[in-house]
Amino acid sequence: MGRKRTPEEYEKTVSYRLRQWLDGSRDPFLGRVEMKPQELFVEPQELRDRREEDLERIHARAYDMHSNTRLQKFHHFYQAFSVLFCLILVLTLLTAVSWLPTVGASERPVNNEVAARYIEKGLQETGSVNIVTGMILDYRAFDTLGESHVLFAATCTVLILLREDKKRGRAREDASDRLYEPKNDLILQTAARMLVPPIIIFGIYVILCGHLGPGGGFSGGAVIGAGLILYLCAFGFAKTERFFTAKTYRVMSFGALACYSLSKCYSFYTGANEIESVIPLGTPGAILSSGLIFVLNICVGVVVAGTMYTFYCMFRKGGY
Amino acid sequence: MAVFEWIRFVIGGVLLLCGLGIFAIEMLGVYRFRYVLNRMHAAAMGDTLGIGFSIVGLIVMNGFHLTSLKLFLVVAFLWFSSPTSSHLIARLEFTTDEAREEHYRQVELTELEKELAQKKEEV
Amino acid sequence: MQIFTCLLLGFLLVCAVSVSLSKNLLNAICIYMSYSLVMSILWILLESPDLAITEAAVGAGITSILFFVTLKKIHAMVVDEEETEDSETDAGPEHKAAEAGEKGGA
Repeated sequence: MGRKRTPEEYEKTVSYRLRQWLDGSRDPFLGRVEMKPQELFVEPQELRDRREEDLERIHARAYDMHSNTRLQKFHHFYQAFSVLFCLILVLTLLTAVSWLPTVGASERPVNNEVAARYIEKGLQETGSVNIVTGMILDYRAFDTLGESHVLFAATCTVLILLREDKKRGRAREDASDRLYEPKNDLILQTAARMLVPPIIIFGIYVILCGHLGPGGGFSGGAVIGAGLILYLCAFGFAKTERFFTAKTYRVMSFGALACYSLSKCYSFYTGANEIESVIPLGTPGAILSSGLIFVLNICVGVVVAGTMYTFYCMFRKGGY
Repeated sequence: MAVFEWIRFVIGGVLLLCGLGIFAIEMLGVYRFRYVLNRMHAAAMGDTLGIGFSIVGLIVMNGFHLTSLKLFLVVAFLWFSSPTSSHLIARLEFTTDEAREEHYRQVELTELEKELAQKKEEV
Repeated sequence: MQIFTCLLLGFLLVCAVSVSLSKNLLNAICIYMSYSLVMSILWILLESPDLAITEAAVGAGITSILFFVTLKKIHAMVVDEEETEDSETDAGPEHKAAEAGEKGGA
């Protein structure tokens, strides 16, 4: 090894000055290049007059509260009208509420024989121990089908509104939005590694045991969606893209909704021809029981999980 | 054995009341401290110790049952997630604090030991 | 049990009023989260555990997270000492980037 140089000697060498120039910490042109003296820019009076006149004209036509009298009158009218409208709306709704039947009156349609039949024959006809799941996925399966489609429509709306174009918006979003986030935080990643598998397993358990206990597709799907969001927050978009892309979501939601719709189609045929339901019900209390409720729970859970995760991705980044 | 049941109920109740007391102290801390890190520390203490006592009290009250195992899993989950969130809050506060020099002081450990030794000698 | 239910309902009322009248948007969303939590407990008291699980997962979890992310996107999260300004202009992102640049260099 050669002799070590002191910092003062090093500062005099060419290589140090070259490094400074490459880093940008020293400007080599400063003090060495002849620059013309710059004079102060004084705006000529006519330009200034014209600019102020334009500004006044714009204020008179545009949304300026101080000078536009028409706008002020409209503002007062709008305040009065909004109060009046709210009063009318509140009075209408309160009158409608007062016309509702009293709770528990025996001759009202809400207390007719349908509710009694659901409770008495629910277990026998649907095969599920949880009467609520039996109702929403067997007696009223079409309502749940509509609800799943509403979730799908909501996701489509969010995709239309928030999806960012790759070429235009990406750089701006990257710079501002995620500046202060912890990237590759060790503690968060370790905790996520420990927590995400139990969360997803718990979500699957809640979905599959919808007909045996409280839970079902909606709650289980929300839990799985939350687990996926935790994974995304801990590991970043790059790693999550390896298993959840836009194509994954498309396949998931289309597959689940198509499966639900097609598998419930049999009831058109059996209902029109007054045949009893052909799906075997099994023993109540076993996991493979209650006919189609098992399959429908899984479909609903998949749709809900995809919806939650898509919402979060669209809000955060505008893409997957 | 009825006495055994009663003792279990009393112990579970005492532990539950301890948990409630810790939650009360934690809430006092969260509302009255001025700085973010102090508040975060109070909330984290309530989250871990308070919930630990409360749920251990419930486990004792419940007995040797599957429900007790589920309660224990709840405690384990919360003891994983609460310190992680405290860590993230503290990290965010430290990176985005605008008056950082006023609020915190960065000291090397050896210097801190010397300061404490000096203060002990003075006292 | 009646007193407990009435206490929880009173807390719900206070939460709902605070969400509307709060000046800091971040506080309003945290109060909304606690509203969801108390709703979840009330569903259990009304003997519907399905709704309780769904309310806890969706209300106190997902909806609040989406609200937080929305606030961040419209740059509406302000500190308590500042005045209540609800949104900055487009100088927001560059301003924050400049601040971060200073802190990174300092």
